[in-house]
Amino acid sequence: MTYGEVGRRDQPEKPITILINGKKCMAREGEIVLSVALREGVAIPHLCYEASLEPYGGCRLCMVEATDHGRTSMTTACSLRATEGLEVCTDTPEVVKYRNVLFELYLAEAPKSETIKEMAARYGVTKTSFLKKIDIEDALGGKCVLCGLCVRVCTEIMGAGAINFINRGPYTVVNTPYFEANTDCLGCGACANVCPTHAIQIEDRNGERVLHSWGGIKIPLKRCSSCGKYYTPEALAVSVQNTLMPPIRSDLAGFCPACRAKKCADMEIRAHMKTEGEGNHV
Amino acid sequence: MNGLRGISARRVAGLQKIKPDRPRIAVGLATCGTAVGGDRVYRRLQEVIENSGDDIMLTKTGCMGYCREEPLVNVTIPGKPLVVLHGVSTDDADEIVRAVRAGKVPYDRVLCQIPSWDHMSGTTIEYGRGFDQVPPYEDVPFFSHQKKVVLRNTGFINPEDLDEYLAVGGYAAAKKALTEMTPDAVIVEVERSGLRGRGGAGFPTGLKWRIAKKETGDQKYVICNADEGDPGAYMNRNEMESDPHMLVEGMIIGAYAVGAGEGLIYLRAEYPLAIKRLELAISEARTCGLLGKDIFDTGFDFDIRIVTGAGAFVCGESTALVASIEGKTGRPHPRPPRLTDLGGGLWGRPTVLNNVETWCNVPVIIQNGGDWFAEIGTEKNTGTKVFSLVGAVDRVGLVEVPLGTSLNTIVYEIGNGGANGKNVKAVQTGGPSGGCIPTRLFDMPMDYESLNRVGSIMGSGGIVVMDEETNMVDIARYFINFATGESCGKCVPCREGLKHTLLLLNKIMAGKGKENDLETLELLADTIKKTSLCGLGQSAPNPVLTTLAYFREEYDARVRR
Ligand SMILES: Cc1cc2nc3c(=O)[nH]c(=O)nc-3n(C[C@H](O)[C@H](O)[C@H](O)COP(=O)(O)O)c2cc1C
Ligand code: SF4
Ligand code: FES
Repeated sequence: MTYGEVGRRDQPEKPITILINGKKCMAREGEIVLSVALREGVAIPHLCYEASLEPYGGCRLCMVEATDHGRTSMTTACSLRATEGLEVCTDTPEVVKYRNVLFELYLAEAPKSETIKEMAARYGVTKTSFLKKIDIEDALGGKCVLCGLCVRVCTEIMGAGAINFINRGPYTVVNTPYFEANTDCLGCGACANVCPTHAIQIEDRNGERVLHSWGGIKIPLKRCSSCGKYYTPEALAVSVQNTLMPPIRSDLAGFCPACRAKKCADMEIRAHMKTEGEGNHV
Repeated sequence: MNGLRGISARRVAGLQKIKPDRPRIAVGLATCGTAVGGDRVYRRLQEVIENSGDDIMLTKTGCMGYCREEPLVNVTIPGKPLVVLHGVSTDDADEIVRAVRAGKVPYDRVLCQIPSWDHMSGTTIEYGRGFDQVPPYEDVPFFSHQKKVVLRNTGFINPEDLDEYLAVGGYAAAKKALTEMTPDAVIVEVERSGLRGRGGAGFPTGLKWRIAKKETGDQKYVICNADEGDPGAYMNRNEMESDPHMLVEGMIIGAYAVGAGEGLIYLRAEYPLAIKRLELAISEARTCGLLGKDIFDTGFDFDIRIVTGAGAFVCGESTALVASIEGKTGRPHPRPPRLTDLGGGLWGRPTVLNNVETWCNVPVIIQNGGDWFAEIGTEKNTGTKVFSLVGAVDRVGLVEVPLGTSLNTIVYEIGNGGANGKNVKAVQTGGPSGGCIPTRLFDMPMDYESLNRVGSIMGSGGIVVMDEETNMVDIARYFINFATGESCGKCVPCREGLKHTLLLLNKIMAGKGKENDLETLELLADTIKKTSLCGLGQSAPNPVLTTLAYFREEYDARVRR
């Protein structure tokens, strides 16, 4: 249960209408406004939002002006919930003014990130008046914006907790404890997949997955017992097999997804042919 | 019978200790008194009394708040007024005991006399008359403008003795609430009082309780925010050290009102004496059945435990505080959900979080009524507020005044203006993220709205006085440096914005600033205030914004044109 559901536990999910930039949008009561806007094709810049995780409110780029029952305030669209009659405006002069400063802060914090440069440019910000952060030893190559997505998927979804925030305030970075290779990492690569600025370096080579950004963790890859290709980190395979209820059938557990699909189809066809033969339809 | 285990006997015993039929000497032993040698005075007095064999009772009390004059020692001689001695040292011990033995007081150490003291909650202690040459309490300028409600017992009773708290009307309000009032009636009374949260934001306490009461769920919590992370602020520390039972009693009443079975006090580890005294208070209350099962035979169960905090400033923020109790990193999260919501509080349970002083206001509201309380202060800012008046002010101390009292009264009449004869230039209210208010605005009332209007905050009640020699740009830099170090690093305006604010201020202080740096500084500060996730970032730029507004010439003088 995400806490989005907690907030409206006893209300039925009734469809409502909210206004985003004057456009009528259908939403579920209590739905996150950022998610409504994205579905309706209204662009709101954001870095730390991910539908499967709890609202985080860290990047502050999704600031909008919201008017609810005559009360207007500036707030983040990723924590704002739809209620009947809510009016949202994504580009009032005030929102634009502050958002531009935030973009400038990001350009200085992650000067190597093309994603940030492109995103800022889309909103007309191409320069920063702030001193750029230069750290040649940065494991994330000057691209991290501390949106926390990698930490959250690693902890909340994968249950691994291999990486976390280190230090605080302007010294905050994300990495493994003591920047060392650790054994909590499953090698799943969810962190790299979810990273909006592609800051996390992961490479598969010579039968192992190397997590360059995370202290150079090396996780052996597992070979498919059918086709012989490397297809997943061993630690991840073990973890998945232990978490799935029921687990993958033992005769299929060693197969890569492609071979497993083939084998399943094969088994289905055989079984089907057998039941057909008996004239016993289910 | 539970809930009444020997309580009336203990009340009588307590009265005997406060007003014994022999002389009594009480040394102010809160952290502030101890810091200036109060404990040595206590030990010396103990020696002298033991050696002389006099029948004098020696005891300790909390702090009366007049920090500049500490150590403070109270002397009571049966039938005579209580006399407060100030600036007492170990050398004075012989003289004090000699005078007391003769039914007198050492005149060169007297501060004032108190013939009778109203502990509110229906109890007035009549000490007696006499010592006409000693000025009355009301004539001491530091005290004369104050109104002691929350601090009504501090300095009078022994905080390590439940008997004395009972003797001054303690736990009568809890008994009244639990045995004579419904939870709703308690909430209505708190609403009528107009009490607003003393932790900074001024949220109506009754409303918060009502929201939490409405929530369903198997368990609810009440939490006391005793994190007090503002440098220079120590009102909560004194409230806990000098009168810990008042907090416990307030929490019992609040828990009953919202239906909570467990209370937690989130107390910073840097307050060992407060921890010790609260632990003692809780265990004494438990022994008497004031905490635990079936309190006052009402079937209401409630207990309190103390959780020590790691001392990060941001852990005082409500959502970070709860995360910290749950063993997670103390980082704020966006609201909703609020703590009072199901799913939003501690372990997902509806939770009421209030500041120490907020809880301490509750017993007297129940005892004397919401209307009585609402008479104090102004219409929307009822009751009193304890301020810690510190910095370059002559009379440093803890000051309790009705909300709405002007800064002029606090700084000049109570504080006697600048220390060492210097002129006052400004005050900063509300801790490190409060604004700097210039003297020309000192006729403004101290209330939540007026403070916000001039760009500052109430915060937890710190007032730092700055004199004419203070460089306001440097002050802004000092506080931004503090805030940068305390930022949790979660959101970009606070994490990166404060860092760049600091860099800009360093540049300006070094004389390398340009005129457009001031514009950047202002825009940046404004952005941090408007877009940060939690109250830390939302208030941290106040020192910059107010010094830019009120002391612009000091910035201008430092930038190149
Ligand atoms: C950075 C930060 C620090 C805070 N520190 C404290 C504190 O030390 N004590 C406190 O009572 N409230 C503190 N607060 C306010 C709390 O978040 C909360 O509003 C308060 O405890 C609620 O209680 P009240 O309604 O009784 O004031 C802080 C807020 C912020 C943003
Ligand atoms: S405002 Fe500062 S302290 Fe608060 S969440 Fe943001 S970074 Fe953390
Ligand atoms: S997406 Fe809303 S704050 Fe990041």
